[in-house]
Amino acid sequence: MEIEEKLALLNYKTDPEYEHITINPKICETCPDHFCTFACPAKCYTLIEGRINFKYEDCVECGTCDVACAHGSVMWTNPKDSHGIKYKFG
Amino acid sequence: MSEFDVIVVGAGPAGSSAAIKMASQGLNVLLVERGDPVGSKNVSGGILWGNDLAAIIPDWEKSAPLERYVERKVTSFLTGDSEIAIDFKTKKFQEKKTGYSVLRTRLDSFLARKASQSGAMVITGVTVDALAMKDGRVVGIINEGETITADCVILAEGANPRVAMAAGLVGKPNDRTVGIGVKHVYKLGENVINERFNLRGNAGFAGEYVLSFLEGGVYAGGFLYTNKDTVSMGVVINMETLRKNGNTHSFDIMEKFAQHPFISGLVEGGQLQEYSAHFVYEGGYEDMPRAYGNGYMLVGDTAGFSFSNGMILQGMNYAISSGILAGEAAIEAKKDNDFSAESLSRYQKKLDNSPAVLDKKNFQGINNVVWSPMVHRAIPALLESSLYSMLYETGNPKKHLSQIMMKSLKSSGMNSKDLMLQGYRLMRRM
Amino acid sequence: MIILALEIIVLVKQVPDSQEVVIDPVTMNLNRSLTRNVTNRADENALEAALQIKDKVDAHVTVISMGPPQAETTMIECLARGADRAILASDRFFGGADTYPTGLTLAATIKTFGKFDIIFAGEETSDSSTGHVGPGVAEFLDIDQITYASKVDFKDGYITAERELEDGTEVVRVPTPVLITVLLNSNVPRRQTLRRKIDAMKQGFESWDHEKVGLQPEWVGVRGSPTIVRKMRPIKERERAAKKVDLAGIPDLVKELYQKGAIKLESE
Repeated sequence: MEIEEKLALLNYKTDPEYEHITINPKICETCPDHFCTFACPAKCYTLIEGRINFKYEDCVECGTCDVACAHGSVMWTNPKDSHGIKYKFG
Repeated sequence: MSEFDVIVVGAGPAGSSAAIKMASQGLNVLLVERGDPVGSKNVSGGILWGNDLAAIIPDWEKSAPLERYVERKVTSFLTGDSEIAIDFKTKKFQEKKTGYSVLRTRLDSFLARKASQSGAMVITGVTVDALAMKDGRVVGIINEGETITADCVILAEGANPRVAMAAGLVGKPNDRTVGIGVKHVYKLGENVINERFNLRGNAGFAGEYVLSFLEGGVYAGGFLYTNKDTVSMGVVINMETLRKNGNTHSFDIMEKFAQHPFISGLVEGGQLQEYSAHFVYEGGYEDMPRAYGNGYMLVGDTAGFSFSNGMILQGMNYAISSGILAGEAAIEAKKDNDFSAESLSRYQKKLDNSPAVLDKKNFQGINNVVWSPMVHRAIPALLESSLYSMLYETGNPKKHLSQIMMKSLKSSGMNSKDLMLQGYRLMRRM
Repeated sequence: MIILALEIIVLVKQVPDSQEVVIDPVTMNLNRSLTRNVTNRADENALEAALQIKDKVDAHVTVISMGPPQAETTMIECLARGADRAILASDRFFGGADTYPTGLTLAATIKTFGKFDIIFAGEETSDSSTGHVGPGVAEFLDIDQITYASKVDFKDGYITAERELEDGTEVVRVPTPVLITVLLNSNVPRRQTLRRKIDAMKQGFESWDHEKVGLQPEWVGVRGSPTIVRKMRPIKERERAAKKVDLAGIPDLVKELYQKGAIKLESE
C-alpha cells in the first residue's frame, strides 16, 4: 500500500490560518542531505526539481522532522485550537 | 492568589493520573489538553504493563477500556527468510494479569473523564503556548497572550514537550534520544484474531521483533499487539542509522515489516484502519532532565520515563506512576503552602525509590546494546544459519551443534572473542 | 432614550464527526455510541457570522440547541468562541425527533427566551443534511428568512446578505427580525482561547425541559415526528486512490483520467 493511500485514511481538521510548521527555504537550498524527505513518516517533505516542498496539511505531529533537520530550517510548533490530526485509534 | 492550585499540561496517562490524584484530594486543578477529543493526538506502541492505575482507579481492570490482556509474549528476530522466536505463553497471566493492549484514544478519554469526575476542570482543544515565569519561578501558563495562574504547573506533554523545551526545562531531543515510531491498525474481527493467534476470550498476543532483514545498515524494531477486534502493528526506527543510511524512507520500513513473509500472514485480509506516527523517547538515565523546579514538575515521557530493554517496551506504566507521585508531592506541597524547588524536591525523592527511576538506572547503557550490530545483525545471522544447518537434512552424517555454530560464526564475520564479550555485556545489562 | 442591545440567536447542533459515522448493521440506525461528537461545522460558521456583527454593534449573542446532555461540550465551545449565553433544550421527550418537532422545539425555546432580532443557523447539519430546521423555525416564528447566505452585514435595522445560487450571487436586504442560514465554510471561525474556555466552564449553560419551553410531550420528539424511517442501508465506501507523479508525468495522468471517464474535454 502506498503512503498516499495510508494518509488518505486519516482525519484532519486543517487550520487555514496557521501553519504550525514552517521551513526556511534559504537553508534548505544549501542542504546537503535532505534527510527530512526520508525521515518524515507522513511524506510532508518532498524534493521537487531540487527544492524542498513542504505541506503542513498532511502532518501527523510526530516531531520527527524537528530532530531530523540538522540545519535549523524547521520551526516546529503544535497546531492551535483543536486543529490538525485526529486519530480514531491511537 | 493563583487561579488554580495546579495546572496540568497534557491529558495522557501521566497528566490525567496526576489530575485524578490531586483533584480527588480536593486540590483546585486545571487539566489542559490540545487534542479534541482527548486522545486524538496520541499514539502508543506499547502495552500497558503493571497495576499502577489501581492506586487511583481501584476497579480499573473492570472499568477502563482495555483491549486484551497479554497471555502470549513473543520476542523474535526477523531475517529476510526466517523468524527465530521465543514464544512464551502462560496461563499464569490469566490469573494475575501483567499487561493489557490499549488504544490510546479510548484509554486517554477514559482517564480524562475520571479526572473530570474527580473534580478537575478539564479543557480540551486548547494549545498551551508557553509557561508564565516570574522571578525565576513558574507561575502559570500562557495561551494566546493571556496568562492563567497556578501555584504549580505539571508538564505532561509526552515525548515531544514543546512547552518544557521552550522553557529550557528539558533538552532538545536528538538522534540518540528518539526513534521514529510508525504504526498500522488493522481491523480483523475478534474471531479471526483468536484463531490466528491461538487465543481465547480476551487473552492477547504481544510480539516484539528485531528487524534484522533491513538493508543499508538501518536498525529498527517492530511490534505487534492484538486488540479486541483490531491489531496494532508498528516499527520503531533508530534515527542514527537511518540518517547514516541517508536513502531509506521511514514509511517504507513500516511497509517492509508489514510485508515480511512471517508478519503479513498475521494480518492477511485485515483492513487498514489507521496509519499513525510519533517519535518515541529512547534516552537513557543520563539524558533524564531534573524532574522538578520552582513551581513545576515533569512527568511521563516529558521527564524521560520510557524504557526498553529489548524484551519489554514500557512507558505508560511509568507515566501513570510518575503522575501519581507528582500528584502526591503537590498535595503535600499544598499543605505546606510551598511550591518552591526545595519543597517539590520531595517528588524526586519519591521517584528515586520507584521502578520508573530504578529501571532506568539499573539498565543504564542498555540502548547501546539494544541498538548494536550484535543484536541487529550478528545474533540473528548466527541463529539462522545454525538452526538451518541443524535442521536441514543433507543425507550426510550430522555435526555437533558447537561445530555448526563455529562455522556460522565464521561466516557472520564476527570473532568469537567479540561475541563472548558482547554477549556477556548484553546479559549483564538485561 | 435607551437603545437596547441587538439580540442575536444562533442555532447549533452537536453531530457525530462526519468521518466516523457508522450504521449499526443490526438495527440499521446511526450508531452514535461509536462515534465522537463535534459541533456541526456550518453552525460554527453561523456563530462566527453572529460574532462578526457583535464586533461592530452592541449585541448579545445567545446559542440555542436541542440535544442530549452530552451536547455540553458544544455549548461550552460556543461560549468559549464568544457567545454570551447558551441554552440547551434537553428532555427525554425531545429524543427521536425529526425536523418538524425539532423546529417546533427550537421555536418554542426562542419564544420562551423572549425578544430577538436576528437568528442564525447553519445551512444544514452534516448528520442528516436536510436543511429543514432553520427555515422551519422561521415559519413557526412567522418571520422572514434568508437561506444559503455566504456574506452577511447588519446596518440600521437591516440585514444585507449575499446568497449563493446555482447561476450566480443574489444580494438581498431584509429588515429584522429575520432568520439567516449560513453556508458551510463561508467564514473562518475565531479561536477558542483558554481564558474564554475557563470562563465558559465556570459560567456553564442552561438546560431547559419541555415544561420550561411550554410544549406538551406528545407534540415533540419521536411522538411529534411525522416521518417514519422505513429502512437505512450503509453505502459502499467510495474507492480512494492516490498516485504520485512528477511534473513530467502530468500529461500521462490527464490521459489516464480521461480514459477512465474521470474528466472530460471542455467541448464534450
